[in-house]
Amino acid sequence: MSLKAAPNLDILPMACVGLILVLVMMMISPMVVTHTRTRVDVPAAHTGQREVQNDVSVVVTQSGQYLFDDEPVATLADVGGRVAAAVASDPYILVVIRADKECYGNQVLDVLATAKRAGAARIVCATKKLTTND
Amino acid sequence: MRRRHIERRRNDGLIVNSLVDIALSLVIGFMVSMPLFFENGIFVSAPGVAQAGGAVPAGSDIKANIFLANNGRILLNEVPVSEDSLRVLLPRLLDRSVARRVVISNDEQVLYDEVIRVMDMAKQVGANDVAWLRTKTAP
Repeated sequence: MSLKAAPNLDILPMACVGLILVLVMMMISPMVVTHTRTRVDVPAAHTGQREVQNDVSVVVTQSGQYLFDDEPVATLADVGGRVAAAVASDPYILVVIRADKECYGNQVLDVLATAKRAGAARIVCATKKLTTND
Repeated sequence: MRRRHIERRRNDGLIVNSLVDIALSLVIGFMVSMPLFFENGIFVSAPGVAQAGGAVPAGSDIKANIFLANNGRILLNEVPVSEDSLRVLLPRLLDRSVARRVVISNDEQVLYDEVIRVMDMAKQVGANDVAWLRTKTAP
């Protein structure tokens, strides 16, 4: 009788669900928080800052292709138009330039100049954390 | 039969303990590995156009102009320097500056990685502001 009265919580399924949630969070969070769906080998640096806020990304691939928020954009003028539209909605939006480290500096500088002309006030060059192996 | 059932229930608690350990290990692994996945960024002042070989305007606080040449040479305020001496000289220049601004310009064939490396070095030695300028070659 006493055994029936004692509540017996089966915590095992809950723990399993918790574990699965942790695994899903581990896999999804890098994709959600950063614009890293387009694979670009960004340069490594010691002194990068991490900003988690409203931002747009402009990707410059090694072949010179431009992507705005992971969508291919034909020309630099189109990049400027997309940045201008983003700046119109939020004047303090952060423009993250993710360029391949094998690009020429002037290619990236063109993107910087375009973003500036489009009204971007805050521009950041994406880098990855420099490890001891680099 | 009932007793056996109760014992099995009690044993379930041990499995939960190990699961908690695994979950904690996963969380710690998650925390450690996250910085490797995330990208950082170096804030860059919006570019303008600098006249090649042009003097710094009078009254400007800019003290450190770094030029990266195609052949790998580095010019600090138009004086060729090695990378090691740049690391020594740059903080001295920045100490005299109020804004602690470093202006970087480069030749056409210089790779982006090289520019970021110098920017990173400038930030490491205490630059508050890094500006990347386009160099306009004199006609």
